[in-house]
Amino acid sequence: MKFLLPILALHIATVLADDVPATKKDADLPPCCRTALAAGKPTDRSLYQLESTWTSDVGRKVKLSVLRGRPQILAMFFSNCEYACPILVNEMKKLEAALPKDVLAKVDFLLVSFDTRRDTPEALAAYRRKEHLATERWTLLRGENDDVRELAALLGINYAADSRGQFAHSNLITVLNAEGEIAFQQAGLQQDPAPLIAAIGKITNSAQH
Amino acid sequence: MTIHRLLAATLICLPLLLSAFAAETPAVTTAPFPGPEAKGTDLEIIGEEKAMLTAAPNVPPPIRRKHATKVVVELEVREVVKRMADGVDYLYWTFGGEVPGLFIRVREGDLVEFHLGNHQSSKMPHNIDLHAVTGPGGGAASSFTAPGHKSQFSFKAINPGLYVYHCATAPVGMHVANGMYGLILVEPKEGLPLVDREYYVMQGDFYTKGKFGEEGLQPFDMEKAIDEKPSYVVFNGAVGSLVGDNALRAKVGEHVRLFIGNGGPNLLSSFHVIGEIFDRVYQEGGTKVSQENVQTTLVPAGGSAIVEFALQVPGTYILVDHSLMRAFNKGALGMLKVDGDSNLIVYSGKEVDAVYLGEYALPGSGKGAKLAGMEAQMKNAIATDPKIIAMGREIVMEKGKRVYTQLCFACHQPEGQGMPGVFPPLAGSDFLMADTKRAITALIGGLSGPVTVNKQTYNSVMPPSMLSDEQIASVLTYVRNSWGNTGDVVTVGEVKKVHAENGAQ
Amino acid sequence: MRRLPVIAASLAALCALAHGVEPGMAPVPGGGYRPLFRGEKDAKEIAVAPFLLDERPVTNGEFLTFVRANPKWRRSQVKRLFADERYLAHWGGDLDLGKADAAQPVTHVSWFAAKSFAAWRGKRLPTTAEWEFAAGSGFTNADGAQDAEFQKAIARWYATPSPDVLPAAGSGRANVFGIRDLHGLVWEWTSDFNSAIVTGDARGDTGLERSLFCGAGSLGAKDTANFPAFMRFGMRSSLKASYSVQNLGFRCAKDP
Repeated sequence: MKFLLPILALHIATVLADDVPATKKDADLPPCCRTALAAGKPTDRSLYQLESTWTSDVGRKVKLSVLRGRPQILAMFFSNCEYACPILVNEMKKLEAALPKDVLAKVDFLLVSFDTRRDTPEALAAYRRKEHLATERWTLLRGENDDVRELAALLGINYAADSRGQFAHSNLITVLNAEGEIAFQQAGLQQDPAPLIAAIGKITNSAQH
Repeated sequence: MTIHRLLAATLICLPLLLSAFAAETPAVTTAPFPGPEAKGTDLEIIGEEKAMLTAAPNVPPPIRRKHATKVVVELEVREVVKRMADGVDYLYWTFGGEVPGLFIRVREGDLVEFHLGNHQSSKMPHNIDLHAVTGPGGGAASSFTAPGHKSQFSFKAINPGLYVYHCATAPVGMHVANGMYGLILVEPKEGLPLVDREYYVMQGDFYTKGKFGEEGLQPFDMEKAIDEKPSYVVFNGAVGSLVGDNALRAKVGEHVRLFIGNGGPNLLSSFHVIGEIFDRVYQEGGTKVSQENVQTTLVPAGGSAIVEFALQVPGTYILVDHSLMRAFNKGALGMLKVDGDSNLIVYSGKEVDAVYLGEYALPGSGKGAKLAGMEAQMKNAIATDPKIIAMGREIVMEKGKRVYTQLCFACHQPEGQGMPGVFPPLAGSDFLMADTKRAITALIGGLSGPVTVNKQTYNSVMPPSMLSDEQIASVLTYVRNSWGNTGDVVTVGEVKKVHAENGAQ
Repeated sequence: MRRLPVIAASLAALCALAHGVEPGMAPVPGGGYRPLFRGEKDAKEIAVAPFLLDERPVTNGEFLTFVRANPKWRRSQVKRLFADERYLAHWGGDLDLGKADAAQPVTHVSWFAAKSFAAWRGKRLPTTAEWEFAAGSGFTNADGAQDAEFQKAIARWYATPSPDVLPAAGSGRANVFGIRDLHGLVWEWTSDFNSAIVTGDARGDTGLERSLFCGAGSLGAKDTANFPAFMRFGMRSSLKASYSVQNLGFRCAKDP
């Protein structure tokens, strides 16, 4: 009985501290939408200086800085690709399978959509289910046109919509370190994954978490 | 009977059956085609060095090292106004401030780390496509560089050969038309055979709003470029770049190698050196001598060739694109000045300058008489021309030597020393030098009976030579002017005179 | 007599305001723009809605007022993510133009800086389509391709080296819309400069493109003779958002 009160207090505290309804635990949410990890000022080269607001497939509105503290492997995509299968996302899934378990535990994957019109949170959620992107590891975000353009420009990704709403875009996989700085980029598809894997390994070694 | 038939049938069918089986399981007999792994990827990289880059027409020295290394190439793109022709300026886009771009020389197997900078004053972004690079775009996409920025990429020089490099930024034709091309030589592992001189010559076509020679700063004309109607076709970026004081230089007796490129953008080059023949041609800049004794070799746009030749005669040799209107009206003309001793056997220079009336002059006509008179004049001119006389003497000596070594040497020996007691000498022979007519007679009719030569007596038989009058004249000229003998030329006329006199006897 | 130009200018400004046009901006009517790069199945012409465009590029002087009011955009304070080492390199200092002239177009500014300036003024950067549409107009003919003088002027710029000293912004000849210096002065940022899918050469449809760009296989250049347009697309493709380039500036647009 003596222990019950502290335990109850602890439980209430954690529930209150949690921004999300108590029914959802961290593991059930994508990396963007759990309790924020690290506070503090972003560095000069950090993408987390961006003030733009994005919406995840679980409906939550976040700034990119919520991802600060864990390295992110990110690419920009759109879910209605008519050209071929979603090649770039497949490349990232292959990477996910190829990373050693201990490295994989320290990184998250991030997909941001070009298609501000059709990729609503619901569409993104459907895409996640279709592609079997693990909730605890993958964040899917959508935003406003100007913000998408700005993020793409920062990453060095070129993209253009055609008249049918399809997007021609650079194939670029970017690795952000825990501070949100661009640490490594791989251009093109079906490249030798070794340099990318090595870069991710190096970053997770120096990461705090 | 049936058993026999059965046996026969079996004997016939068995090989057919066996062959059927054999056909179903064919043996693999062909070796697989050598794949990319077979090409020089096994050469180990030792050390690092900075590439020495040179401006045309010079090339970096041949590579002496016997191993592959990492070569750092630093090349800067600059847009500069330079002279296209007298009074004509052009804004060239250049690799290293020069057209053609600086020459890069590496060795098969080298790892090249390429640093491409685009000067901040450039208007345009630029990049580079090296035909020596195995990989998409020849490096072009990796090196797309905005003004004031720098790109870096690496490649392994797997294939030896002479390769063009050029800017591949859209619109490519325009970037190339403005002078953005050069050559990179990947020497084969074993190196190229050593020669005395190596030079770098690269042709290009230029398209200006103004006509050829129109003065001022001329803008690029895209329409002319698309229509492939150049205003200038030049070597090394400008009219006269290899002319006069800028001519290439060599000496008689030297072996020269030309690394020839054609940046285009449009035209092929029919490369020819007036007065020379290419002893060896590495067609299209490959690593094999593909042909010998070539007069004119094709250099494709965006391609190269290597030619080698030895210089026997001094003078000024003209390099041209043998599409002649380009050479003489658009500037595709250069010079190779060769110093040294004359060699009149190979080339005598102009021997006669005479009027040529044509063969059609009727005999007996006034024209015919005139022609006869002119011919006589010509003959006289030839006979009295000192140069011809001198050359004539040399030719006669050569001919005489040939006769001597075929016939006379058997007895009189190669150096004219004769055989003591048996055959008299010719070298320093008082008997020979005293009387030309007697020598001619001896050759015509032979000589027998005792003769005293240099206080020695010889009594042998020299048979009639059965030589023609020319041959008699030439061999006598030869023996009378060799091995210390100093005589004069024996002419055919003298021989004929002896014939006549002997005949009269 | 001296007051006359001032009065005239004020009247003009008032007129402009009365028409709902900002001073220094010209209205560009809507129309069809023929993009240089498009997919085979894409329409040849895309519609550009009417918009307002600055008559001339933004000047050093105007940018100075901006950095005065926005310290985080001063040369010594700007973050490397948003502007590279050459940011405002031609100025003497944070708030000192040095040898640069206030009337010259501002250069050595990154895309982020240009965007911020535009937002500060209540404007935006023009899209590539808007910019190219406005730039397609000649001096005397709304269809610049038919204007020989105009074409000659453009060709001349590409044939001459960058001048040591840039002329003042707005000193060029006005086109049919009343807009100056879209050609012949400096390259200009657009809001979607990174929509140019050009790897650096026009060789198109190679395996290279398919690997680097998804969906680019169908894009082709429609007018290969229009080499100035080609070069502008090439220039935009070579840029990164943080680049500060010696001959790259910008001007603002606004919705009417």
